[in-house]
Formats: sequence, C-alpha cells, structure tokens
Amino acid sequence: MPDTSHNPVPSGHPFCRRGRSTEGLIKAFFGGNAALTIVILVLIILFLLREGVGFFPEYRTELQNFRKSGLEFVDIARKDLTAHEQMGSLLNRAYFAQVNSNCREEMQRLEEATAIVNYLGEATAPAHDALVQVTDAESNSPPTPELLQKLSAQYRKRLADALSGRLGKGFPPTPHLSRTEQQLLCDQIAARDPLSTDDPAFANELQASLAAKRELSAAPLIAFRDAIDAFQSSSSALDVLVSETSDTVKATKEAAVLHGIQVRKRQTLLDAARTAKPDLRSQLEADIAAAVTTEPVDFTAAMAPVLARIPQFKEANAAMSAGLTEVSEKLPLSLSDEKADRYLKAFRAATPAMAAETADTVGLLEGWRADVPVGIGMTISGFISGRDWITGGEWQDIYGILPLFIGSLMISIIALAIAIPFGVGAAIYTNQLAGPRQQRFVKPTIEFLQAIPSVVLGFVGIAVLGTLLQEVSTLDSLSWIPGFPIQQRLNMFTAGCLLGLMAIPTIFTLSEDAINNVPAAFAEASDALGASKLQTIFRVIVPAAISGILAAVLLGLGRVIGETMVVLLVAGNRIQIPDFTDGIGTVFQPAHTLTGIIAQELGEVPFGSVHYRALFVVGILLFVIVLAINWTAQRLLRRFRISQH
Amino acid sequence: MKNPEQLIRRGVHRKGIAEGIVKTFLGGMTWAVIAVALMIFGRMIWDGAPVFFKKEAPFVNMDFLTKKTETLHVFDDAEGIRHQLPASEFHQWKSSHGTDAVFNEQTFSYCGGGIAGPIVGTVLLTLLSVMMALFFGVSAAIYLSEYAKQGRFIGWVRLAILNLAGVPSIVFGLFGFAVFVLAAPILTDTPADRSLLAIPLGFTHLSFEGWGSSLIAGAATLACMILPVIITASEESLKAVPQGFREASLALGATRWQTIRKSVLPFAMPGILTSSVLSLARAAGETAPIMFTAAVAAKDDLPWEGVGSPLGVLTGQVQALPYHIYTLALKIPTSEYTERAQFGSVFVFLLMIFLFSAASVVLRNRVRAKMKW
Amino acid sequence: MVSDSVQPAIPAIEIENLRFSYGTKEVIHGVSLSIPANQITAFIGPSGCGKSTLLRCLNRINDRIPGAAITGGSIRIGGIDISRPDLDLQVLRRRVGMVFQKWNPFPKSIYDNIAYGLRIHGETNRKALDEKVEHSLRVVALWDDVKDRLKTSAFGLSGGQQQRLCIARTIAAKPDIILLDEPCSALDPLSTLKVEELLLELRNDYTIVIVTHNLAQASRCSDQTALFYLGELIEYGNTSQMFQAPREKRTEDYITGAFG
Repeated sequence: MPDTSHNPVPSGHPFCRRGRSTEGLIKAFFGGNAALTIVILVLIILFLLREGVGFFPEYRTELQNFRKSGLEFVDIARKDLTAHEQMGSLLNRAYFAQVNSNCREEMQRLEEATAIVNYLGEATAPAHDALVQVTDAESNSPPTPELLQKLSAQYRKRLADALSGRLGKGFPPTPHLSRTEQQLLCDQIAARDPLSTDDPAFANELQASLAAKRELSAAPLIAFRDAIDAFQSSSSALDVLVSETSDTVKATKEAAVLHGIQVRKRQTLLDAARTAKPDLRSQLEADIAAAVTTEPVDFTAAMAPVLARIPQFKEANAAMSAGLTEVSEKLPLSLSDEKADRYLKAFRAATPAMAAETADTVGLLEGWRADVPVGIGMTISGFISGRDWITGGEWQDIYGILPLFIGSLMISIIALAIAIPFGVGAAIYTNQLAGPRQQRFVKPTIEFLQAIPSVVLGFVGIAVLGTLLQEVSTLDSLSWIPGFPIQQRLNMFTAGCLLGLMAIPTIFTLSEDAINNVPAAFAEASDALGASKLQTIFRVIVPAAISGILAAVLLGLGRVIGETMVVLLVAGNRIQIPDFTDGIGTVFQPAHTLTGIIAQELGEVPFGSVHYRALFVVGILLFVIVLAINWTAQRLLRRFRISQH
Repeated sequence: MKNPEQLIRRGVHRKGIAEGIVKTFLGGMTWAVIAVALMIFGRMIWDGAPVFFKKEAPFVNMDFLTKKTETLHVFDDAEGIRHQLPASEFHQWKSSHGTDAVFNEQTFSYCGGGIAGPIVGTVLLTLLSVMMALFFGVSAAIYLSEYAKQGRFIGWVRLAILNLAGVPSIVFGLFGFAVFVLAAPILTDTPADRSLLAIPLGFTHLSFEGWGSSLIAGAATLACMILPVIITASEESLKAVPQGFREASLALGATRWQTIRKSVLPFAMPGILTSSVLSLARAAGETAPIMFTAAVAAKDDLPWEGVGSPLGVLTGQVQALPYHIYTLALKIPTSEYTERAQFGSVFVFLLMIFLFSAASVVLRNRVRAKMKW
Repeated sequence: MVSDSVQPAIPAIEIENLRFSYGTKEVIHGVSLSIPANQITAFIGPSGCGKSTLLRCLNRINDRIPGAAITGGSIRIGGIDISRPDLDLQVLRRRVGMVFQKWNPFPKSIYDNIAYGLRIHGETNRKALDEKVEHSLRVVALWDDVKDRLKTSAFGLSGGQQQRLCIARTIAAKPDIILLDEPCSALDPLSTLKVEELLLELRNDYTIVIVTHNLAQASRCSDQTALFYLGELIEYGNTSQMFQAPREKRTEDYITGAFG
C-alpha cells in the first residue's frame, strides 16, 4: 500500500479536492451550533454560581452585624416572650371554650339573628350605600328629591325581595329561632330608617341574654381566670425590657448600616476620581469629602447599657418562671368541655419544655459575647439547616431553607404516592391486560394529559379542587380521616394531588415502554411452565422491567420537584416547617417550596442584594437536586437496556 | 400420564377470579386517571365556553379575543341597575351621565375588556423562540447525525443535551434573568454602571448590561429551554432518512453539504416540523421562564403600538396568556365578575395548546403515512 | 400409515385429524398420529412444514398468538381433549413442559429460575425448594458447575448451560411430557451432544417430543419419527426402520437430501 500522504494528487488533476475550505466552514458552523448546548449549560452553571456564590460572605457580614449590634442578644430574650405568649393563648382558648360550652344555645340564636341581619343588610347594601353617598353632608350639591325617591324605592324593592328570600343564596336557615321571633326581627329591620345601620332591638336582646349567660357560667371559673391573668402579666417586665432594648440595638444596627453605605459610596467615588478627567475631579473630590457624615459605630459602647440591664433580665426571667410554676399549681385538674380540656392538656404537656427553656435563658444571656466572629461554616450550616426564612422585615432577614426544602419534599412525596400506583398500575393494565381497542384509546389520552400547561393545573387547584376538598372534608361521615376538616383551602395535599396528576403521564409512558421492552420470551417461558397471567405479570414481567419503571419514577420525581406554577398557586405559601404532631393530617397544612420561593420573591428583590443572592443559591440547590435525580434515572435506564441485551 | 382428570377444572376457578379482580382494579385506576382528566377539561369548558362562544354569528366572542385587557368597573346607576364596563367605556359613561350617577363602584383589575394583549404576546414569544430554537437546534442535529463521529466532543454535547432537558423551568427563569435580562451585550452610547464589561468601539460601546425584561429576552430563554427537545427530535428525523439516499448522492459526486441540502433535509423536514409544533405547545405553556424575563401583568399597548422601530417590539415587555392566567388566578376566591376573564382566558389558552398538540399528532400521522421507504 | 408393530400399548398423546390455522391461513391440514409414552418422538421436516406449530398445539402455547386456533380434529392427552372449555390451562402446561429453540432463562438468579416453576405452583417450603432445585440441576448435569453460584444471574452461563438450565426448569415442575422445540439449533456440537445424552436419560421418566431439522439428531436419539411436509404428515414410524427402509418416496428423498 503506497503512502498517499507523500503522493498528493497534483493540482489540476480531476481528483484534486476543491472547495475544501467551504466544506470545512459548513462543518464548523454546524459543529458550533452543537457546541451551543454545552455553552448554554456552562452559562447556566456559571451565572447561577456568579450570582449565588457572593451570598455566603455577604450573609455572614449581615449576621456579624446582627451579633455586634446586639440584635441576637435581644432575640434570646424574645424567644421566651413568644413562647410565653403562645402558652397564654392556650389557656385563654381553654377558658373561653369552657365558658362558651354552657351558652351554646344563646350563641346559636344570636348567630342566626346576625345571619338574618347580615343577609338583609347585604341585599340592601347597594341602595343603602347609594343613599348614604347622595345624602353625605360633605357632598357639594344636595340631592334632587326625585333621585332620593328613586333610591328609596330601590331600597324598599330590594328589601321586599330579600324578605321573600329571592336574593343571593336565599333566606338563611334559623332552626333555633321561633317563627314569631324571626318575624319580629324582620319587622324591626323593615321599619328601620334606610340610612341607619343600627342593630334591631331583638338582636340587642339576644346579645344581652348571651352576655348574662356568659357571666353566669364564668362565675365558677373565677379562680381560673385570675390564674390566667396573673400568668399573662408575669411577662410584662420582660416585655418592657425587650421592647426597650430592641429600640436601642435597632438604632445601633441602623447607624452601622448607614455608615457602611457611606463608606462604600466614598470608595466608589474614589475609584471614579482616579480615572476621571481633571474638570470632573474637583467635583468628585467635594463629593468624597461630603460622603461620610456619620461616625463609625462603637458597638461595645452602644451595647453597654443593654448589657448593664442583665440583672433586670434576670429578675424578669425569674418572675416569668415563678408565674409558670404558680399557674401550674392553680390550674383546674380538668375541664368539663372536651375542647377546653384538650387545650389545658396541651398547656400541661408544653410546660416542662417551657420551664427548661426559661431556665436556660439567663445562662445564654450572660454567656453571650458580641465579639465572637460568625464563621463562614456557621453561615453555610445555618443556611442549610435554618428553620426560618424571614425576609423583608426591619429586624433581621434570616435565610434558612429547611422549611422550603421540607415543603418541596413533602409535596413530592404526596405526588409520588399518588402518581406511582396510578401511573405504574395504568401502564401494567394497558400493556398487559387491556384489549387492543382500549389500548388505542388509553395511551394517547394519558399522553395528552402531558400537554396541559402547569399554570392551568394551578388554576384548577385554586379555583376548583381546593374548595372541593375543603367542602368534602367537612362531611361528618369523613371526620375519621386525620386532618379533616381541612383548615386551609390551599395546602400540601392539594398541590400534591395536582403534581401527581402531572407526573402520571411521565411515569405511565416510560413504565409502559419498559414493560413493552421486556422480551416476549420471558412471558412465553413463564406461560409454558403453567403460570397464570397474574403470576407471569407480577413475577416475571414487572421484575424484569423494574429498573425501567424505577427510572420512570425518578424522572417523574424530577419533574415534580422542579415544577413551579402549581405549588406557587396551590401549596398555600406558608413559610414554616409543618407541625408533624398532626400525624398523617400534616399533609393538609400549607407550605412553601424551593421553586415557589424563587418565583414569588425574585421579582421583588433589589438586584444584587443578599436576598437576591439567596434566591440564586436556592436555584443552585434545585439545579443540583434535579440533576442528580435525572442522572440516577439515566443510569438506571442504561442498565435496563443492557439487561435486555 | 397419571391422573389425567387433574387437567379438568373443578369447582371455583380461583385464579380466574383473582385475575378478574386485579384486572378490574388496575383498569379502574387507569380509567380513573382519564376520568379525572376529562372532569378537569369538562369544568374548564363548562365555565369557559360561554365566554368564548355566543349564539349569533360569528359564534365566537370576537370582543374577548380582540379587545385589550382593562380594569373592570362594576357599579349601579340611579335606577339600581348594575353595569359592568371596562375602564375606557366606564369613563365615557361617567362623562355622559355625570359622576354623581355612579353608585357602589367596585373595580377588578385585568378583568375587563378582552385578552388581545396576552394572546399576541404569547404568539410572538412562542414563534420567536421556536424560530431561534429551530435554527440552532436543526443545525446541531445535522452536525450530530451527518458529520459527527464518536468522540469526546460528541459525548459532551450529548451529555449537555441530556442535562439541559432536565433543568427545571424556574432555573431557566433564573438563568434567563441573570444572562439575557442583566448581562447580554447591547450597543449603547452610555453603558450602565452595572455593566459587566463595556468595550468602546469608537462610535459607540458594546456593553454587557442585558436586554432588560423584554420580548427578546423571554424568547431567548424559552428557546434555550426547548432546544434539547428540538435537537433530539430533529436528529431522529434525520436518522430516519435511509442511508441509501446519502450514498446515492455521494456516489454521484455531490459534496457532503450538497447531499445534506438536496437529499437529506427535504425528507427529514416534515418530521422536524412536526416536532417543532409540539415544542411550540410547550413554549406557549410555560410560565416560570418568562415571569422575570418578558412578562408583564398589564400593558396598555399591543407590542407594536407606540414603538419607534421594529426593534422596539423586541425590547418591550409583553403580556402573555399563561402569566395572565397566573395573575388572574391570584384573585381567587372568585367573584361573579372575575370569572368571565378567568375561565375565558383558560379556555382560550387550552384551545391554543390543544390546537398545537392536535396539529402535531395529525401532522405526524400524515408524515408517517406518506414516508414509507 | 402408522405401523402396528411399533405402536406401544399406551399412547400418551393422540392427535386426530387435526387442522390448525393462523387467522385464515390453514397451516396443518388434518394430521393424525399417536405418541407413545416414555419414548422420544421426533418431528422432522423442512422449514414451514408445521412441525413446530403442531408441537406448540400440544400445550396450547399457541393460544398466546392472536388469531391462532384449532379449526378441526382433536388432541387428547391421557384421554382428555385439551380443547375442552373446562380444561385447566395452567395444569396442562405444568404437566406438558416445554423447552424453546432459543434458551430463555428469566432475568433472575440460577436458583430462582429453577424455583420459579415450583413457587408458582405453591411450593413455599424452603428446604423442599432447595432439594428440588438441586435434584433438577443434577439431572441436567449442571449442579457441579453452578452449585457455588446459585445466587448469580442465569445470564452468566454459557449458551449450552443456559439451555440445560431451561430443561432443568421444566423438569423441576414435574411434567409428564416434555416438548422440545429445536433445542439444539443454536448450540455448538459439544453442547448438542450433552443435551442429547440428557434426553436419552430422561426417556425413562418422561414422554418426550422433540422438533428438529437435524436428521442425524433425530436418528441418534429418537424412538419414533414423524416427517411433515406442507402441513401434512408424510410418514410416521419407528426411527431406525424409517431411516433404513422408508415406505414413502418423499421420505426417501428428504432423508437423502433431495429436498428440504
């Protein structure tokens, strides 16, 4: 074989290559476009990092300020105060539940009367409002008599319509009022001046009788009431202390922030002056001189008066502890009303934890040091395991993604719990059990589901499903389900249902594919051994397709975690770690998510702020999670394909 | 054979019953999914169709489709008759009847008029993004299927496509915001302070300060998102063209590019177009990527109104149907006055998406029926 | 056609005037033969002659193919017509085992492959399973090769081993009849020899029907041979007699290689 490279085709020979450079250019053009995918991916990573990486040092500086100006110190004391308030509210709820338990009849009567008053008021509102508007003393021209007449006629007509129950949802039901009482009420309202909104006399009577009954049933509980009041007032000293020191430390922080801004401004001006033209320079130098008007804050001096009050904190703390012990002794052993008793028990259960926390506080306050630096590791771990995501407040923004992460996780779990059985079940049914006619209908229909845009599903959730679920949950026959009746219309369960519906087509299509790709020989061998159809399906076909099905589930999970609009609209957007004491009922609490927080807050934050960067860090996290899930899925798929030869 | 009578089934056929139960159960699940889907559509159609259709010719509520979005004013006149008027008509009414004649006024933003702005915005965003993605995507697919051999570069490209396909749409939104809105290059005489890099060109500056929230930024973001879909689908269509077509062309002395242009692309085109219609539906349906890059809740003008040059269309913000639905959805619990705008918009949006999807299915079947090699 | 002299006392399978179609296309045109118990019967014939189809009728595995149906005649196993509606298909298939042309172990471990047939028929006793798996593997002479890796994937075995594993899987389910559909067509000669030896050993306990296009194989290991051509039975009889002194002209032509 002769070496052709030493033997080029002479130029001008018919075999000589022409137009090689054009071909090369064309190829390079296409290659460049292929490289675009890599460029985009790199850009995504690069820009997420660029905006996100700055977050940790900046957040650390903020935390440093938070500590130096003493906000952290006040927060230690404030935590007790919040806990104390919650405990107090538990007791109050117990008290009122107990008092009201004896006045149920009166309350219902008053409620029904109020419902009638409101119904009639709403029905006549437009005419009433119009009358008020035209007779308004400040209006410049007095109304013409005919206009007044017209409006009054309208008022009477609406009132008559309403009394006959022809407006809105109709006359409200009043099972606890007699017909005569009802008639009396209506007559009183009908006789009322159109301009007046005073309650009719009968309603006032009911009000008075309820008040009397309340007083009566509160009489035996007088000791309980006093104990509660004493408990609530035991925190007043701390309350005053906290609010006073809050003002001090907040002023310190604001001064420090202002000074920081001025220093940065001077630095910018200095940089500008270095490159500026001479005629501008003098102006700039004047600005530089005027840039910093405040003194740097002396944190130690500012903090001294706060720290000097530690003995007062101690006293206040002791008063609160004493209040807690005292109230625990004075509380009744149990209350006759079931709900009241539950609140009381909850209070008892929380008492030891609160006592321990209060006892720790003094030590924490005394051990607190303003000059301990906040490490970058602490900042990062605080971000990852932080239980609060508080933004936009004037106190201190806290960025902890745990509530968002848990929200995303819980919603995904609910979604998968729905999508896996339905998606995989439908795939098994369609591929193995359904006839060809059903197959031809089912497959494209479920695949068509994929085309529903997520914002539409979110709309469905918010407009239809949320209300529907809430109404269903109030049915008495369903009250055995934990978490029913649902408190919040928008919650994790509603979002999970819709995301499950979104994930079903993904899981269905890929699982069906996997099952379809199981070689027919396996099923034939199983049949030949005398296996029944079900045995063949569940012992041979599904196990053989299992890695494909797992990959389908993972890809579904990736889709669910990354989904934004549905959770933004439907999940309820409460940034809080769910209260897991509800057991399964926890799923009916609202939550916020990783994707939702970005969508909700990115539009409102100033460019380049710490908050802005925090959102990019959330984006990085999301990117990494979804990428890891997809990678695992792809590896599983590859393994599945290899196992099918 | 011993005991041949065992072959005959006696008594209850347990396995048959078990199979029946499982089959009914799984079938029930399957049909339940379909039923839920149909119920959702049913509800949207039930509430949305009355807004969209009307009894007399042309049977479609053209006002809703062609009017701009306005604030809805609901009020009573002196007779106690309730009026619902969009802002422009409301002001006319007020000037002709006098301010004193308006009672109990309530306003519902974005609920009056029609949805011409969102429809136009979505169409522009979608077309622009699909055009961009088609250009880059088909070129990339040509490289992958016609030029590339196994190699490290190809490995990287495939990896990138795979990963891009999995990136959540909100992350694309972040990316579009950081890159196209805040950092893309423009020509300007006065670079902004936050410009990443300003290169003086003599007569003007090339400044990396971004395009702002605009039609072009949103379309570019969407294009990045659908790029992997288009590349994968186009590559499949190109690979479906029989190898013989290429060999025949090459054997006749055509260059590679001539071969691709004359003997491969024409046959792959129907498939590529089909897939692009499908990605059209996807681009039209996404909300998260355009929230920060292009969409605006209210805009008085259509994109081409009040702009000096065609370029102004590209650099202006637009309304978009999915974002419009999002803003309207936030107004729920509904009142009787918002439902028209809400369900009407959803109905029109679904109609658009399903026309795209159905078109792609029909196209695909046609192409498959026609192209038999 | 069937010679009385070779007809054994108890026929295991009796086929009478069987007609079989795929959709509208009839592929077996009225075949009658009776297969003796505890012997090896070979079906031979050129490709497409219907020999595999006939074999697959015997355990009704053809039911898997949509449109395939027996259109006339009958098959009786142990005197019972296997087309009758109250037939328990699962029992039939357990007692009429089948080994396929291309070995098809499940994507499970070697142990689970053998145990599968036992488990689906209700054997749950761990010890009994172990014993039966070992016994079946010993019968096919695989035990010594695989006893240390019972829990590894069956796909790790060589082709011949996999085919013997499939035979072991079949006999573990305790069939009365074993059907083999060209079991050696994809095997190398050495593996083929091993399978043939195995068949000769199994003959004492099972009725064996084997489809083969390898005439030498048929003559080596079968007692009876049936030659098919275009869906019809040409000749059926004692193997040695048929190979040495065929009664039909077409049989002679086929054996000497004039067609096929």
